[in-house]
Amino acid sequence: MSFLEVFQYTRQDSIVHRLDPRAKLLLSIVLAVISLLFLEIFPLLIIICVLIPMMTAAKSLKRWLRSMKGLSILLVFILIFNTLLSTYPNPLNYSIALILRLIALMTSFSIFFLTVPPDELSQALIQMRVKFEFAFAMSMAMRYVPTLGQEAYAIMDTQKARGVELDKGNILTRIRNIVPIIVPLIIVSIRRALSIAESMESRGFGASKNRTYMEKLSFQKRDWAVCIISLVVLIIVIYIRLNIPLPDWSIPF
Amino acid sequence: MIMMEDVHFAYDGLYTALQGVSLQIDDSERIAIMGSNGAGKTTLVKHLNGLLRPNSGRIIFDGVDIKHYSVAELAREIGLVMQNPDHQLFLDSVEKEVVFGLKQLGFSEDEIKERTERTLASLGLAGLSERSPFTLSGGERKRVALASVLATEPRILALDEPTIGQDARQKEKLAEMLMGLNEKGRTVIVVTHDIEFVIENFPRTIAMANGNIIADGPTNSVLSNDKVIKKCSLTAPQLTQAARSLHEIYPKVQERLTLLSELENEIVRVLGGV
Amino acid sequence: MPLVELNDFSFKYYGAESLALKKIDLTIEEGEYVVITGPSGCGKTTLCRTINALVPQFHRGYISGNVIIDGKNTREHTVAELSSIAGLVFQEPENQLVTLNVEKEIAFGPENLGVEPSEIRRRVEEIIQLLDIEHLREKHPHEMSGGEQQRVAMAATLALKPKILVADEPTSNLDPQSAEVILDIISSLNKRDMTVILVEHRLDLVSKDASRIVLMDKGRIVADGPPREILAQDICQEIGIGVPKATLVYKRLKEQHGIDLGSIPLTGDELAGLVKEASS
Repeated sequence: MSFLEVFQYTRQDSIVHRLDPRAKLLLSIVLAVISLLFLEIFPLLIIICVLIPMMTAAKSLKRWLRSMKGLSILLVFILIFNTLLSTYPNPLNYSIALILRLIALMTSFSIFFLTVPPDELSQALIQMRVKFEFAFAMSMAMRYVPTLGQEAYAIMDTQKARGVELDKGNILTRIRNIVPIIVPLIIVSIRRALSIAESMESRGFGASKNRTYMEKLSFQKRDWAVCIISLVVLIIVIYIRLNIPLPDWSIPF
Repeated sequence: MIMMEDVHFAYDGLYTALQGVSLQIDDSERIAIMGSNGAGKTTLVKHLNGLLRPNSGRIIFDGVDIKHYSVAELAREIGLVMQNPDHQLFLDSVEKEVVFGLKQLGFSEDEIKERTERTLASLGLAGLSERSPFTLSGGERKRVALASVLATEPRILALDEPTIGQDARQKEKLAEMLMGLNEKGRTVIVVTHDIEFVIENFPRTIAMANGNIIADGPTNSVLSNDKVIKKCSLTAPQLTQAARSLHEIYPKVQERLTLLSELENEIVRVLGGV
Repeated sequence: MPLVELNDFSFKYYGAESLALKKIDLTIEEGEYVVITGPSGCGKTTLCRTINALVPQFHRGYISGNVIIDGKNTREHTVAELSSIAGLVFQEPENQLVTLNVEKEIAFGPENLGVEPSEIRRRVEEIIQLLDIEHLREKHPHEMSGGEQQRVAMAATLALKPKILVADEPTSNLDPQSAEVILDIISSLNKRDMTVILVEHRLDLVSKDASRIVLMDKGRIVADGPPREILAQDICQEIGIGVPKATLVYKRLKEQHGIDLGSIPLTGDELAGLVKEASS
């Protein structure tokens, strides 16, 4: 699953990281929409050629390359099957375009997810008028899901140590063997939730209707610039798509 | 007897946790493993029953490499009680919980009944046998978790941080029980930060730091070493501190780890001389 | 007026069979450093919860008697209203860090209460200095050790500027060195006029700094007074709490050998000092 790395926030200091998450959200959506507008090899290559410098600016090119390597088997798989099964006039051409579009889409979204810290994301949501409780619930989930994962592993180890065999027997035995994992996991989670609630309650969670925020996200000039450029480019590209017939660049297969 | 030979282990092949650990544990020993968090103590213990398998090196149990055994097979011989009892308890009565552990290891009905009763009684849980573990206090749950492993009477019993959340009285009881087992010839291994618990109950201490064993020997010499104390994130016990201060004036008082009765006698001797 | 006042207070958790607290009378004045100890299940944690109204506002149940904190009756005030009077630090650090970095964590409490952003920023900086956690500022909870997490949890509590710090076994999941750091912070806060209520098993580490020890057993207070007085009493061993070894040596010398060191030691150094005095 190493290709998922490209959707995982990494702490770094780069121009892209410093952009307002809302500007980055718009940028990512625009890039994704543009990728969806084309299913020809050449324009998609241009899009990827624009995306790669962006990944470099985010100081994440290596990570991106690693993810793409992780993805390569899947891509080759798609390529072969599509080429063989497709009913299009020149299937290889179509399959390559499909793969390029997948890469372009992934990269577009990874610009957002790779560079927006989860707490900024929830702050952005709050400022986009999502209710605080919902935004906070989301950031809490991100905070505690890994903890829950660790707990699940610890529980499995504990049960294995007393002789529970998780990967033996027929389906029924296996299902029965999940019980000693699931029950403790639920109970531990409930206990944890209570204890977290106690701590939050003690620090005034939900007490004031006028909750304040130490730091509000504020749009800088560069954020406006990103938004305006993104929208202008989007309009131009849509115009091109609709009104200017693209020459046939496809490879003759 | 169990032997580890140059065991290396890294989580996900990346995060080094053991770098060349060798040790020998004889039958009916009492051993404490100490070290700061992340030193590799729990990782080491999980190697004993095959929960983790070494990247390189061997673990020999009674002359056979344990790679030939499954965790379930090893569980009959090596009982591991983890730190958090809530990771273990999942049935709706204390008794069922103990019975479950025995059933897993394939004991006969009669034996299960007999062992369950005996173990619950010995841990002061007889009165709670019908209760749901989830309604018990943290200390009680910890004892239930212990009971379910103990009932299987493993030859080697390893406990991870058994004293956390236990008060002085419960610690004494725990120690008594471990001693009793040990007298029956069982090996007892604890992983702990509780230096006084170790001094009073465990003749041998293995100190770990950064995935290595930095000291292994008699507790009173291992824990008299300041470097070891520091590297294991421990603090010198009060009696050692007292012995040190006294040593400055009365060189006869030995500047090392001391038991209460020893220090008491030293002071009587010092003051008796006046 | 005392800061904390429990008058004939009893409490039973909803659904529980027996009382968790039985007729507790306790007053704590400003600036005190009170250590609460006793065997598990004695009611220490419940007592902590009464100080900021978690009992009876969050944990409901049967109550009788009153708890008055800084003039406020906890029957009539919410936990949030009391949060800037009494701050609680709990046992499990992991469960107290609910945000994704340290700055946010410290800001969490004041933000909830609607404090001005500039004031929150000022507090965050002040507390980061005070607890010496500059190096942790940007860290995610998973990137910190238990001891560091607990220090941050304490910082997050202090950000509400409480008059009383209530810490419920804050060190029980930590290694001894980290525990000592936390206990040193608590003691230095007390020297800066913070009233401290600390539940702790490690009496060998805390009793030298505490001004008072409250001993509990089965929901009742069974002894209450200065550490030296309390720890020398037989009741400590009877109910099973960990009396400092130095104090035990003192008692043994007195009872077995008729040697009176004159004063009751709480640490190894104090014991050595007394022996020196006695011999000269």
